[in-house]
Amino acid sequence: MSHSKSPSSPTLKDWEKLASAELQGDPGSSVNWKTLEDIEIKPLYTSEDLEKLGYSETLPGFSPFTRGPRATMYSGKPWTIRQYAGFSTAEESNKFYRENLSAGQKGLSVAFDLATHRGYDSDHQRVLGDVGKAGVAIDSVEDMKILFDQIPLDQMSVSMTMNGAVLPVLAAFVVAAEEQGVKQEQLSGTIQNDVLKEFLVRNTYIYPPSPSIRISGDVIEYVSLNMPRFNSVSISGYHLQEAGATAVQELAFSLGNGLEYVRTALDRGMNIDSFAPRMSFFFGIGMNFFMEIAKLRAARFLWNKLIQQFNPEKSESAMLRTHCQTSGWSLTEQDPFNNIVRTTIEALAATLGGTQSLHTNAFDEALGLPTETSARVARNTQLILQEEAGIPHVVDPFGGSYFMESLTESLIQESTKLLNQVESLGGMTKAVESGMPKQQIEAASARRQAMIDQGEEVIVGINKYQAENDEPVEVREIDNSAVRDAQIKRLEKIRNSRDQQKVDSALNAITAAAESAKGNLLALTIEAIRARATVGEVSAAMEKVWGRYNAPIQSISGVYAGAFPDQHKISAVRDEVKAFARNAGRRPRIMVAKMGQDGHDRGAKVIATAFADMGFDVDIAPLFQTPEEVVKQSIENDVHVIGISSQAAGHKTLIEQLMKVLRQENSEDIAVVAGGVIPPQDYDFLKKLGVACIFGPGTPIPEAAQEVLSAVVNNSQNH
Amino acid sequence: MNPKSSPLLEEILQGKRRAIAKAITLLESSNPKSFDNGQELLESLLPHTGKAMRIGITGVPGVGKSTFIEAFGLFLIEQGHRVAVLAVDPSSPITGGSIMGDKTRMKELSQHPDAFIRPSPSSGVLGGVARKTRETMLICEAAGYDIIFVETVGVGQSETMVASMVDLFLLLMLPNAGDELQGIKKGVLELADLVVVNKSDGVQESQAVTTQSEFRKALQLLSSSKSSWSPQILLSSALEKRGMDQIWEAAIKFREALQNSGEWEQLRRSQSEKWMWTLVEDGLLTNFRNHPDIKNSIPELEQSVASGKTMPTTAARQLLDSWQSRKK
Repeated sequence: MSHSKSPSSPTLKDWEKLASAELQGDPGSSVNWKTLEDIEIKPLYTSEDLEKLGYSETLPGFSPFTRGPRATMYSGKPWTIRQYAGFSTAEESNKFYRENLSAGQKGLSVAFDLATHRGYDSDHQRVLGDVGKAGVAIDSVEDMKILFDQIPLDQMSVSMTMNGAVLPVLAAFVVAAEEQGVKQEQLSGTIQNDVLKEFLVRNTYIYPPSPSIRISGDVIEYVSLNMPRFNSVSISGYHLQEAGATAVQELAFSLGNGLEYVRTALDRGMNIDSFAPRMSFFFGIGMNFFMEIAKLRAARFLWNKLIQQFNPEKSESAMLRTHCQTSGWSLTEQDPFNNIVRTTIEALAATLGGTQSLHTNAFDEALGLPTETSARVARNTQLILQEEAGIPHVVDPFGGSYFMESLTESLIQESTKLLNQVESLGGMTKAVESGMPKQQIEAASARRQAMIDQGEEVIVGINKYQAENDEPVEVREIDNSAVRDAQIKRLEKIRNSRDQQKVDSALNAITAAAESAKGNLLALTIEAIRARATVGEVSAAMEKVWGRYNAPIQSISGVYAGAFPDQHKISAVRDEVKAFARNAGRRPRIMVAKMGQDGHDRGAKVIATAFADMGFDVDIAPLFQTPEEVVKQSIENDVHVIGISSQAAGHKTLIEQLMKVLRQENSEDIAVVAGGVIPPQDYDFLKKLGVACIFGPGTPIPEAAQEVLSAVVNNSQNH
Repeated sequence: MNPKSSPLLEEILQGKRRAIAKAITLLESSNPKSFDNGQELLESLLPHTGKAMRIGITGVPGVGKSTFIEAFGLFLIEQGHRVAVLAVDPSSPITGGSIMGDKTRMKELSQHPDAFIRPSPSSGVLGGVARKTRETMLICEAAGYDIIFVETVGVGQSETMVASMVDLFLLLMLPNAGDELQGIKKGVLELADLVVVNKSDGVQESQAVTTQSEFRKALQLLSSSKSSWSPQILLSSALEKRGMDQIWEAAIKFREALQNSGEWEQLRRSQSEKWMWTLVEDGLLTNFRNHPDIKNSIPELEQSVASGKTMPTTAARQLLDSWQSRKK
């Protein structure tokens, strides 16, 4: 049978004619679609497009790995279902893990609470609202042992999302295994250890960039020598996407970060083949279905190309392996059952793109931590793809598709341009210091928010097809103060029963190694943790030398309003603001603040730039503030309103404290509004405290601005 | 005296943060009544002012002004001082709004009970930025802050303005001399009493030393703005909090030298005189613009001049004539 066209077959020109007729005379290109990446998508792709690219076929398992890192991919062994979870105490998380494992989950992925991420013990005064929220609290190896009780660490692959406090947490894992009788070389799993992206987004770092990179290097080195089955770094594009990065930005900046770790290791004299095969990636998968598939394919191609410059001998060194997670940002608080559908589509994209493992989000994660039901549905989504839909049987089913190969190539080209820009700044560490990547991501995020607020980008249930009666769903509630009390008790017990002299000398050794830049910090930390030093104490031992870093916060302006198609709406708000200013003698002034250790500042940044674009005077508070500090700064700047952005479930404790301090300071003339991930069942509680407005995800910002303005006016009348 | 401002007066003298903040808002207000209240309050506070050292800080964007103020401010607090920082952030000419991130760049200082940091938007203020900053400075002095930092936006005309209201003008430089000398206007260099080469850390440390000696040469060729002080060049690393003690030592020597020669008082007196004239000019202009006869004819005249129908000179004369013959 021949595939060549017979002379009478229709040509592209014929198609153009037909298309134009269907489009009432407009050319076929009139329905081209421009993605957020500025990539133009045509309605039809043909073999001509492949010819233009000079496309040549490749095979999975071989360089450049575009079609997958393994020859048989899922037909031999399906992707690993790896659900990320952890809440409150080690006991509760352990129970949850064991239930999941018996229900078909294959690997573990641990979420730590923010206090642990930032290297604070649970009894530290700055983490009042953070302990046990958004992850499990780990203060010492004793907590870690409870976390993995009855879970055989020589068989179970464990992934840990940890960057800032990577040393004490990885050390506690190693020591917990050791006391279970498992040797370091038997351990398998992944530590995220991608600190560079923390400086770009999320802000879960502790030390300044260069000592942070040294820590990453120490971990990579130690793991390559002692833990051959363990991934020493997992370079994350996921958090970049969650912060608003486009696919091109996600690729360029995460690969750029990866390149930086490679260079760090090479600078220490390590051989590329000794560590590169243990580097893995972590990408986010959003709702742009084809783009996400192409992204994974492009990522493998690009990484292979980047690593080839170091002349590896092992082919695994240049082979990109990745974990993926469906996008948390794409989940909506409104009509939350829609999220099951979103997650399914995203999971499908991740598997068609060839991920090695996958986490599917639970549908209620825009509201709070998953319940048992929602976690089951999330896990089943993957099981259905694996066992009902027949996805695993064919390797890279999109390979050779006119459209997919063209899209992959466009992503490769655009990402290479951006990567070159990073390289011209001297690599990612320098680029991070220059602020370029952060600013680009924030601008992309603000532009996208404007498109959504205007309905140009549709989100079902948010800006179109809103449900009339949104059924409330059950949300898991964590009693934060109970968790904190329990942790404090355990900390006391450890501190009273250990050999303090041994702990002190181990901690001093860490401080000395930080100072001298000699010695492997992970090896020293394992000693300290064995002696029962805590996560906070180990972190403090290095903080003495390096200090705690504050990333400079840059702000952008004009982007939101510029991307907002309906300028009338914007000018209507501006007029209201002007009228207010005429009356009050100044513009409305808002302090946008985050409290506690939650460093997710995408929302806060978008609000700041959009409110300024609408004529507000906007103060940005530093990150990681206590309620007392936010009140002090708001009083000092004499703002009309404090806008609290919360993404990590600490809002009840922290806002309650904020309101109390405002009263004590006799400053109730300052109104308080809140936004972010706040479950609807907490609204009443917050309103009773005196919070004037609460904005869920998806509130169009011009409307929010108007509400804030009336809240300010009301509040000033009452005080 | 407005009855509302007198409790404010007491509270400011007691150093209450909220009262200081409210007073600054009054001074910045574009509402004529609040503004007048602010002016009255200021007058009653004047006897309590004048005791602080006023330090202006400038340098190109990226030189690390905020990081420097954070490090220097914390150092001074450790020595027992109370520190106020005043910064002006640009308002957007299009939207009128502004983003003020100063506190994020001075995180520890902004948390400290002995520090007061107030960023102000540049727009919408009667009398302009200069006047507002000067008056805010006085409020802080009355409230017991004995070191006042005034941070300028960047490089431009704001330097001269800030230099005309502070005792000591400090210019921050980057450790790459060649390019830097090109970028800094000679006039700004002449205003500086202290030049500090910041970011003298890591790989840039040796470069900073070179820059220091190059500046020493350059400054010898320039005239100094003070007769009893020749500018000094120092090194610092705000990031590593180094060099702060030497800078403070130089600042104290500066004050001693100027006080001994009488230049300190003389400088402040001439600044007061300038301030008086600024107030007169602002007041006149405000009265002029707000007079009903003038206010009503402005839009039409502006348009007529813009479209070329009327000569600017003619329009100006017309406005001034109607001011002369205005109804009292």
